[in-house]
Amino acid sequence: MAIRVNPKLIDDLEVYGAQDVSKCYHCGNCSATCPFSKEPFIFPRRPMRFLQMGLEKKLESSLEPWLCYYCGECSDECPRDAEPGETMMSLRRWLTSRYDFTGISRLFYRSGKIELLAVVGAAILTGLGFVLWGMSHGSISNYDGPNAFLPAGSIHIFDWALAGVLLVLLLTNCARMWWFTVGRDESISPSLGSYVRSLYLLPLHFITQKRYAKCERKRPWGIHLGLMLSYLTMLILIMFFLPLFQPGPSIDWRLHVFGYLATAGLLGATIYALRGRLKKTEAQYKHSHETDWLFLALLMFVTFTGILQHFLHRGGLGAAANVTYVVHLMGVVPMLGLEVPFSKWSHLAYRPLAMYFAQVKAEAEARVPEAVPEPVVVSSRVTGVM
Amino acid sequence: MEERKIGVYVCNCGTNIAKMVDCDGVCEHAAQQPGVVLAKSYKYMCSNPGQEMIIEDIKEQGLDRVVVAACSPRMHEPTFRKALQTAGISPYFLEMANIREQCSWVHDGGEAATEKARALTLGAIRRVQYHQPLERRSVNMCPNVLVIGGGFVGMTAALELADGGSQVYLVERQRNLGGNVARVDLTAPYLDSARDMVTALITRTMEHPNIFVFLNSEVGSLEGYVGNFRAVVDTVWGDQATSNEYEVGNVVVATGYKEFDASRVTHYGYGKLPNVITSFEFEKMLRAGRVETKEGKTPNYAAIIHCVGSRNREFHTYCSRVCCMTALKYAHELKSAVPSCYVSDLYVDMHAFGKGHEDFYRRGSEAKTLFLMYAKGDHPVIRKAEPKDGCEMLIEVNEKLSREVIEIPADLVILMVGMEARDDSDAVARLVNISRDKDGWFIESHPKLDPVATTTDGIYIAGACAAPKDIPDSVAQARAAAARILARTIRGTIDIDAVFAEVDEDKCCGCRICNGLCPYSAIEFNEEKKRSNVISALCKACGACVAACPSSAITARHFTDEQIFAQIEGVLA
Repeated sequence: MAIRVNPKLIDDLEVYGAQDVSKCYHCGNCSATCPFSKEPFIFPRRPMRFLQMGLEKKLESSLEPWLCYYCGECSDECPRDAEPGETMMSLRRWLTSRYDFTGISRLFYRSGKIELLAVVGAAILTGLGFVLWGMSHGSISNYDGPNAFLPAGSIHIFDWALAGVLLVLLLTNCARMWWFTVGRDESISPSLGSYVRSLYLLPLHFITQKRYAKCERKRPWGIHLGLMLSYLTMLILIMFFLPLFQPGPSIDWRLHVFGYLATAGLLGATIYALRGRLKKTEAQYKHSHETDWLFLALLMFVTFTGILQHFLHRGGLGAAANVTYVVHLMGVVPMLGLEVPFSKWSHLAYRPLAMYFAQVKAEAEARVPEAVPEPVVVSSRVTGVM
Repeated sequence: MEERKIGVYVCNCGTNIAKMVDCDGVCEHAAQQPGVVLAKSYKYMCSNPGQEMIIEDIKEQGLDRVVVAACSPRMHEPTFRKALQTAGISPYFLEMANIREQCSWVHDGGEAATEKARALTLGAIRRVQYHQPLERRSVNMCPNVLVIGGGFVGMTAALELADGGSQVYLVERQRNLGGNVARVDLTAPYLDSARDMVTALITRTMEHPNIFVFLNSEVGSLEGYVGNFRAVVDTVWGDQATSNEYEVGNVVVATGYKEFDASRVTHYGYGKLPNVITSFEFEKMLRAGRVETKEGKTPNYAAIIHCVGSRNREFHTYCSRVCCMTALKYAHELKSAVPSCYVSDLYVDMHAFGKGHEDFYRRGSEAKTLFLMYAKGDHPVIRKAEPKDGCEMLIEVNEKLSREVIEIPADLVILMVGMEARDDSDAVARLVNISRDKDGWFIESHPKLDPVATTTDGIYIAGACAAPKDIPDSVAQARAAAARILARTIRGTIDIDAVFAEVDEDKCCGCRICNGLCPYSAIEFNEEKKRSNVISALCKACGACVAACPSSAITARHFTDEQIFAQIEGVLA
């Protein structure tokens, strides 16, 4: 059955960043140079072809974009400047918007202004909420103690509530990702055993990102891993230990040492990425989508306000620390609330999932019995030499 | 017969000959033959020292015949003839024994190869004794030129010749000059207007004092030979027909091509689906400035299909060369006429070999032309779409680069029809006495080294009548043909090889067997005398008439019976 092409898809993908894909003339240098391109997942050429031709459903069900870490080798090798690396990046953005059933993600990726507006709106609501709530029971000059403006215990509960909502959204998107890439594919039927056997891939790739390390250039992997681990450490500290390290003014080094390390990691990686994007130092930094800038700006904002409120609090300036804390939260809530399910942060989940699904899919495809080969009839006259 | 003084020179050709043939042995054997004054072997006879050795021997030893046992006469006969001439004897006193191509290169060595070389050399020694001191002749070269075909190529050649001082008779069958290029809108890859180029050419051609333009005309007959043709031009204006004869020295054939008839291909629905059109029909649309479907709607989707009639066994196996770039030009012109239109380009291979072509291809892809590759023999199939499809037609294609069978929407389909030889190319070929290949294209004298000359002296071919060609290549050929003609007319005379067939009128019985046999139409029949006569300027000395003549009335100069018998006896001795 012939697949109907959608000639408009290539235009649609432009706002996601795929501006040069039409230049590709399929020499295949990109797939040849990519260390990850292996049967049955050949890329970037094949997904680029699907995109050029507008084979929407084929793209929607492909895992290939997630198997790419954007080391940029392919873009460097491309004789036509078709930017295969950036095309894969754009496809990841497009897929994120496809997995998201709310349509919010699509809105954000298609318009940076709307995303900015949403971030600002969420920030204002967050600020207003926390100020009103703080004033209703505490004093602006008290950072901790019984009369605290934003008591750590309550914030902790708020964090868990927010995390719950985000997790539900993200998991729904993950389920849709499974449906698009594996579930609805009638040509394969992966066994339950295969799902269980390969499950270890999820935490493995999440924690180590060891696949990224296979790229020829090691530095991007290091930076990426540092950023991710710092983020993860901070998340664990906040989700599980907030009431323990939030009150001061004493510094509990057993916990704080992790906090300082994570902060340094976040700061370093963010500055590195910002500098890279501004100066376009590496292939993966050459093209910046609006969402990339917003992501880095939020990360920077949250890190700085976090550091500041910590210093103000330990310096005994309770009121100033409280104000900074509210401002900090005005960054944190939109960053997590919007980025995790709808935008860039979601790749934290999609990428390890893609490795997992890819393994399951490859195993299932290997199990599909090959067509029985035609028996080779050899004429006895020809073999008569015996 | 008086005693000859023959010199025999055996060439080693480095090791080319010496590796297989005992050259000194051949020398010794030759030296013992009657009439042979000296026999020498040398590393390279064709080198300057080699030639000088022969010249000195002729002068000092008084040699009057020379045998060179070396390579094929096609390779170095002119070289050694020149040496003989320099030494002061007739260049036709030379005979070559081919002991390289016909001996050392084709044998495994050993005594047999040497024995063959000895035999070939002896054949040459016996033959050369009968060689005559032939005289080269020269005939007048008429400076007028006949150009057949008033297209881009014909006009370019005519202008070049006329500027050089020749009187040019330009014969065009149609009412207007311009040919196929006049039917085109823009040209690839620089998007210059074809109309502007053609108009400028026509104006110059019509106004040139040295060019006589014959419209509505055909060449009725062409008689004679190089430098001395008589052309009859038939002109028809309304019900008035005139016929005039002109003297011309050379002829340029620039009759061009005709486009492939798309209705011969059934699977694209041409003629049945109204919006499947040929490239020339699309050019018409472009020239009218209106790109629309037959129903008058603006197309949202357009598809271009390459290689219609070209590059397949069913119709023509050759590539028509211009369609790929023309297709890219259409993609460009479609996008500028209808910016919202999605253009697909279905090709087998993208041939972007010319200057600026690869950049043009790149620009085509940057403009988001959807390039789809199909396999030779696995052609796309077009069918009418349903109302729900939102387009006129659907094209199903097994796309090679994605390995997917896909379906693309189309409101307008353009078939890139290839070029083919004109229906009457055989008549033209007969008229000017040149040959055609299996596809009907005129054959050049040498495809690489002599691309505009033909096997008939004085007849030149230029442009797409010889094979599909784009405008730059055709113009280059037009100018090349003109340059060749001008170079030959500048001397006023033309040398004719002394080797040709002769009819002994006393022996000729007027049976005319030879007339039809001659592949070069070099034999004319004198109705008054009832005798055949060879036009020496046209004769290529193939010998067909000599062998066929029942009265033994025809002799080939330099290939007389006694020369050939002597050679045979020598070889067999």
